[in-house]
Amino acid sequence: MAFLEWLQTTWVAELVATSLWGYPLFETIHSLGMAMMIGSLGLINLRVLGYKPELPLLGMRQLLPLAWLGFTLNAVSGTLLFTSDAVYFFAKWTLRIKLILVMLGGLNAALLGRSVFREAAAGAAPAPVAAGTKVIAFLSLVFWLGAVCFGRLIAYEQ
Amino acid sequence: MTIMELLVWLENTSIANAIRTIPWLYPAFETGHYIGLSLLVGGIMLIDLRVLGMARALPLKSMIGLLPFVWAGFIINVITGSLLFIYGATSFGTNGAFLLKMSFMVLAGLNALAFDVAVRRSGGSWVSADRPPAFVKGFATASLVFWLCVVTTGRWMAYI
Repeated sequence: MAFLEWLQTTWVAELVATSLWGYPLFETIHSLGMAMMIGSLGLINLRVLGYKPELPLLGMRQLLPLAWLGFTLNAVSGTLLFTSDAVYFFAKWTLRIKLILVMLGGLNAALLGRSVFREAAAGAAPAPVAAGTKVIAFLSLVFWLGAVCFGRLIAYEQ
Repeated sequence: MTIMELLVWLENTSIANAIRTIPWLYPAFETGHYIGLSLLVGGIMLIDLRVLGMARALPLKSMIGLLPFVWAGFIINVITGSLLFIYGATSFGTNGAFLLKMSFMVLAGLNALAFDVAVRRSGGSWVSADRPPAFVKGFATASLVFWLCVVTTGRWMAYI
C-alpha cells in the first residue's frame, strides 16, 4: 500500500492525473491498442479454431508484431492510467479481475505460440490443429474479451 | 421541430428513461460499444494494413473477406451508440467532440464507398494478383486515419 501511495505521487502520475490532456490521451491510446490486439490475436485464434482455412497457419505469425505493438501500447498506457490514482484503482475488483484475465491471456498466448507455430514450423505438412490447441485458442478469446469487459466496467465500480 | 426539441424528446423517450433508471444498462451498452470497437477497428486495421503490405503470407482476398466482422462491429456500435446517445441526447448532441466524431464517421463512410466504387471500376483483378494500385493504398491510409480520429474524438467526448 505504501508502494501504491508513493506511485501516485511520482511526477509521471501527477502529470497524468492533473494535466488536461494526460488522462484522455492515454485512454485513447488504450482503446487503439485494444483494437490492434483483439483484431490480430482474435484472428489468429479464430484461424486455429478453423475459420478461413485458406489462411496459412504459419503465415499468421506475421500478425504477431501488430499484437505485440497493441500489447505494449496498452501495458504502457494502462500503467500510466493506473499510477494516476493507484490506491483507488487497486481497491477495485473489476481491475483485479481484469489483470488476472490479462495474465491468463498472456500465458495462454505463449502456450499457443509454442504449440501452433513451433509445430507448424517443424513439420512441413499443415496437419489438422490438435483439439488441445483449439481449447487454448478458445480460452484466449474468452480471456481477452473478458479483459475488455472488465476493463470497461472499472469506471462503474463504486 | 428544432434540433434541440428533437434532442429533448429523445432524452425523454421510455428507452432513455429506462437506461437512466436501470443502473447496469449504461455500463452494459458501453461494454458492448468497446467489443464492437474491437471488431470494427480491429478488422479494418487488419484489412488496411494488409493492403498496405503487412503480413504478405496471408492472401489479400481472404483478408478482405474479414469485412463481415467489420460490419458486425459497425452494426453493434450503431445500436449501442444510439442507445448511449439518447441517454444524454441534449448534452451529447451539443458536445464538440461528438460532432467531430460524427463528421469523421461520415468521412470514413464516404472513403469506404469511394473505395468500393473504385474497386468495382478497376475490376478488382489486383486482389488476386496481390498488387493493390496506389489509389487503393491511398484509400487504405485514409481509412486508418479516419477511424483513428473516430476513436480519439469518441474517447474525448467524456472530457469536453
